[in-house]
Amino acid sequence: MLDAIEMSRDLEPIRSVVEFCRFVRANGLDSGIRATIDSVRAVRIVDQVGLDDSRHALRAVLSASKRDWDLFDQLFDAFWFGRRLEKPVRRIAPGNSAVSARNKQGIYLGVGNLASKEPGATKEERKVVTGASAVDRLRKVDFSRVPQDDLAELGRLSERLLRRMSLRLSRRFRLTSLRGRIDLRRTIRAGAARGGEMMELRHKSRKKQAVKLVILLDVSDSMNPYSVFLFRFAYVLGRHFDQLSCFVFSTRLVNVSDALKARSLPDALRALSTITTCWSGGTRIGGALGEFNRSFGRRMRSTETSVLILSDGWDADEPGSLIGELRILKQHVKKLIWLNPLLGLDEYEPVTRSMSAALPYIDVFAPAHNLQSLLELERHV
Amino acid sequence: MPSFADDTQEEESGEISEFIRGFGRFGYVADRALATAVYLLVRLPKPLLIEGHAGVGKTEVAKALASYLKTELIRLQCYEGLDAHSALYEWNYQKQLLAIRVREKSDKPVEELERHIFGDDFLLKRPLLRSILCESSSPVLLIDEIDRADEAFEAFLLEILSEFQVTIPELGTVQAKRIPHVILTSNSTRELSDALKRRCLYHWIEYPSLEKETEIVRTRLPEFDYELAFRVVRFMQLVRRMSLSKPPGIAETLDLSQALMLLRRKQFDPETAEQVLGCVLKSADDLAKIRREGVGNLLLRTGA
Repeated sequence: MLDAIEMSRDLEPIRSVVEFCRFVRANGLDSGIRATIDSVRAVRIVDQVGLDDSRHALRAVLSASKRDWDLFDQLFDAFWFGRRLEKPVRRIAPGNSAVSARNKQGIYLGVGNLASKEPGATKEERKVVTGASAVDRLRKVDFSRVPQDDLAELGRLSERLLRRMSLRLSRRFRLTSLRGRIDLRRTIRAGAARGGEMMELRHKSRKKQAVKLVILLDVSDSMNPYSVFLFRFAYVLGRHFDQLSCFVFSTRLVNVSDALKARSLPDALRALSTITTCWSGGTRIGGALGEFNRSFGRRMRSTETSVLILSDGWDADEPGSLIGELRILKQHVKKLIWLNPLLGLDEYEPVTRSMSAALPYIDVFAPAHNLQSLLELERHV
Repeated sequence: MPSFADDTQEEESGEISEFIRGFGRFGYVADRALATAVYLLVRLPKPLLIEGHAGVGKTEVAKALASYLKTELIRLQCYEGLDAHSALYEWNYQKQLLAIRVREKSDKPVEELERHIFGDDFLLKRPLLRSILCESSSPVLLIDEIDRADEAFEAFLLEILSEFQVTIPELGTVQAKRIPHVILTSNSTRELSDALKRRCLYHWIEYPSLEKETEIVRTRLPEFDYELAFRVVRFMQLVRRMSLSKPPGIAETLDLSQALMLLRRKQFDPETAEQVLGCVLKSADDLAKIRREGVGNLLLRTGA
């Protein structure tokens, strides 16, 4: 393939396309060498037809998701026409936003823009590759102390890892409802009753076992640094559990299961903000659990249900009501899991009165302060 | 793979326009970006992954392409739990057992019997194998709603898409004579694997603009009153902006238009709209929401 590039008559257009591929890679599109080769070929194929076609062709080759697709036009204009990149494009290679007069005259595919050759570009490029060590670091960073620069990366990473986890989880529970493979052994055995004629085929399929998950998410003031991340967690789980319900509570309890069904996380957050007004505020865990038991308990509690409480355990109520409600809940569900972000702090002891009173009723008590701890959930459910 | 010096020489300008016209003949209104992507899919050749909301005509692209290229359309509908057997091939066990019985009494050697029951007659060819076995011309292979299949299947698909070669232990290796044109669609209900995305061209289909949607209705339903079509489309565009849980796609626009034609309505008034609302919105919540907004109000905003 590279030979073909070498042999072709005119190297300059190829060079520009390759530069462009490097440029988009430096600006957040995840495209490899294969994409670069395809880009050159694609531009060749649609060439002589018009600039727009090259734009469409390169976009088809270089993007791989809606995000890339939306970003592409900006990058294309920035590179070929020297338009300024708007924020929030991340990782802008310095020098590329400089307007090149030659480009403006439309020397398409010419030598015009080689701006990304500037030393800055290669350095930026290196940053794009999220190495194993960076992933490792992000998994362990406390949600309340995420540096501003890492927010986006952490968002993507958690989406990816949590998705993988929830896929594993859902595979574990949601076994096939289809007719399984043919069980030849039983088929032949059944045939014996008919003198060895195997008239009917016997099938085997795994036992169906649905697990339901209910998430109760504390969104009171004290949970502020964590609640958005935890909601993201609930959202990702929701995409893979058919039977997942989610509630948020501070002083009252709100069913936000519908918000989880939104197409994307920003949509979900928007939907969430229209549903609930209790975001931030005091906490009445006992009251909220009581409301759950009364209003939704009959429908949602069952022996196949695991209840997941995400809260720091700071409660304005007397612990009495919390204990009462936990006891009721515990009797009706398969497992009661309490994830507490504060548990990630070294110095933390579950000494708030509510928390220590609640402990006897909880099956699993685990931290939820970073991505790693959320991924551990797999072990518990 | 041809070097591109040759490509440019044989290339006539306007082939992309030819795709647009050709698609138009089969009732598909394609914009230039989509036509370019499809053109590249045929020429590079590389699979094309099409994403977009439900009902924007992702599947139709494959149908139009097959009609345009006058070739067979082979469709693999993905669903949860889809496995290699239902996608590629399976032996017809019942028939095999029967054949064993029939020949039990014959004195032919066992080897011959074995060859017989693992022959072509006993092979159930599923879409992927059929697309590989196609001899006359490259078929269009539509892998619909790939996001519904699980990740294991995705990995399996990757292997097929890169080699177009299948090994059936009893028969040997089958290599595609004609590389199929592959179109994958996804409703983006889940993120696809990077490996798969990297192997594909990508196209995102947005909801169409007012002009484009009107043109689609006109192309599909030429006998539908133009004024009415315009109002219907305006109405649909407003409905789509209402942040519903299931925004209607183009399919719904066409259903609504067809309903008006069948009811022989000359006007798209609130009363009519109320009657045919079921063509547009498919969930009780959305219906309630639009009634709260007032169908009449929406219609007013479509302008006369």
